[in-house]
Amino acid sequence: MYEEVTGSLMQSYNICKRQVWLMAHQIIPDQEHPYIEMGRLIDDMSYDRDRKKINFENVVIDLVRNDNGNLLVGEVKKSSKAIGSARLQLLFYLYKLKQNGIEAKGQLFFPEERKKIDVRLTSESEAEVVSAINEINDIINMDKAPAFEKIPYCKNCGYKEFCLS
Amino acid sequence: MKKPVYIFSDGELHRKDNTLYFEGESGRKFIPVENTSEIMIFGEVSLNKRFLEFISQSEIILHFFNHYGYYVGSFYPREHLNSGYMILKQAENYIDEKKRLYIAQKFVEGAYRNIRQVLKYYQNRGKNLDDIIYAIERLGDLIAGTSNVNELMAIEGNIREYYYKSFDEILGNCDFEFDARSRRPPKNSLNVLISFGNSLMYTTVLSEIYKTHLDPRIGYLHSTNFRRFTLNLDVSEIFKPIIVDRVIFTVVGKNIIKKDDFDEDAEGLLLKDKGKMAFIEEYENKLKTTINHRSLGNSVSYRRLIRLELYKLEKHLMGEEEYNPFVAQW
Repeated sequence: MYEEVTGSLMQSYNICKRQVWLMAHQIIPDQEHPYIEMGRLIDDMSYDRDRKKINFENVVIDLVRNDNGNLLVGEVKKSSKAIGSARLQLLFYLYKLKQNGIEAKGQLFFPEERKKIDVRLTSESEAEVVSAINEINDIINMDKAPAFEKIPYCKNCGYKEFCLS
Repeated sequence: MKKPVYIFSDGELHRKDNTLYFEGESGRKFIPVENTSEIMIFGEVSLNKRFLEFISQSEIILHFFNHYGYYVGSFYPREHLNSGYMILKQAENYIDEKKRLYIAQKFVEGAYRNIRQVLKYYQNRGKNLDDIIYAIERLGDLIAGTSNVNELMAIEGNIREYYYKSFDEILGNCDFEFDARSRRPPKNSLNVLISFGNSLMYTTVLSEIYKTHLDPRIGYLHSTNFRRFTLNLDVSEIFKPIIVDRVIFTVVGKNIIKKDDFDEDAEGLLLKDKGKMAFIEEYENKLKTTINHRSLGNSVSYRRLIRLELYKLEKHLMGEEEYNPFVAQW
């Protein structure tokens, strides 16, 4: 498997290892799932004035903004419930940018909650990102998906019916 | 929830900016893109490439039916959920004779068990079906021991032959006598309903396959020739008895469709539009009916149950969990 680590794998990593494997094998979640549809809409409709969906390498950044001469990259989320994984996802983007010689600030956006949270890449958080990347690669290279384990997240997950059918 | 749209009248399908509408004799009817899963076309309809482009982009499938209500084909937008991994697994399970036979047997087993369940239901209601159930059970015992797909198909054919004989006893309506299974064209009213219902079932399953990572061209029971869709035929076997046949029992039993809903024409017998619409209404109601799903812990519709069946198949192909077909509990 040559699947490169992506932002969404980063986000899944904190929640469910099985999801990481499934996503990496292009077994994507049910697109009719209400939360996935909602996420798509929120992402589409919020922050219209900013540049959106910046693609570079295997990274898709939701939003890029000029913040007093500094580059600010943003990740838009429906709710701050899974803030830990959203943070890791954004740190991963900042890490990728840094590897390409671009220093940037990060901000998590929760339009529904009218909330923004700053995220900075420190040496500590960088180590966190690197170890996550390594472990994600190990998961992807597994022959089979990690076995299903029921967690609270399952309730609203787009893979719920796949895992439980 | 997205819904299928049925078109019976003649007219034109158009795209106007980012909306769709149908223009027929009775004027313009808009088709809500966000709420439409598929469009089932029975009338004489013309459309253009602009329309197809938009349909494809909106991930809506078009299913076409001929004058007799037979499935003609689909406009199947460029597959949008592609997983190379899943396609390889699907092919691997097809090429290996043993693996293919296992899955094919499970489809026939599912069909058999659901047929048996339907018959048991009517037996409990005083219908004299003992002999037929006995014969079917003897055949059912042979499924697991078959050594190739042809042998399996023969058993499946025999089960169906016995099963269709039971329709006369279940329906007890001399306007709908079974006689023998006849296709293209069907020779009697009951055969018309069976063919029409099966056509609907094939398209419903195809539409659900479209939302998974499976490739409909690789089937296990019905031989694959990589041109036609066959996986939907396979999976339909499981659901035909509990969805299509039960709809037939309802529309005939409740006199919703009567003898005069059919027309004779040069080629054969034909269900009139009014009859088709009545059948579809019952069919859609059936798909919407929910049942309690144990492992999911909530209720799911029959349509959803078809999707879950496909997920189970995916997990089998991935080597996670052995596939076991859905069997109705009543």
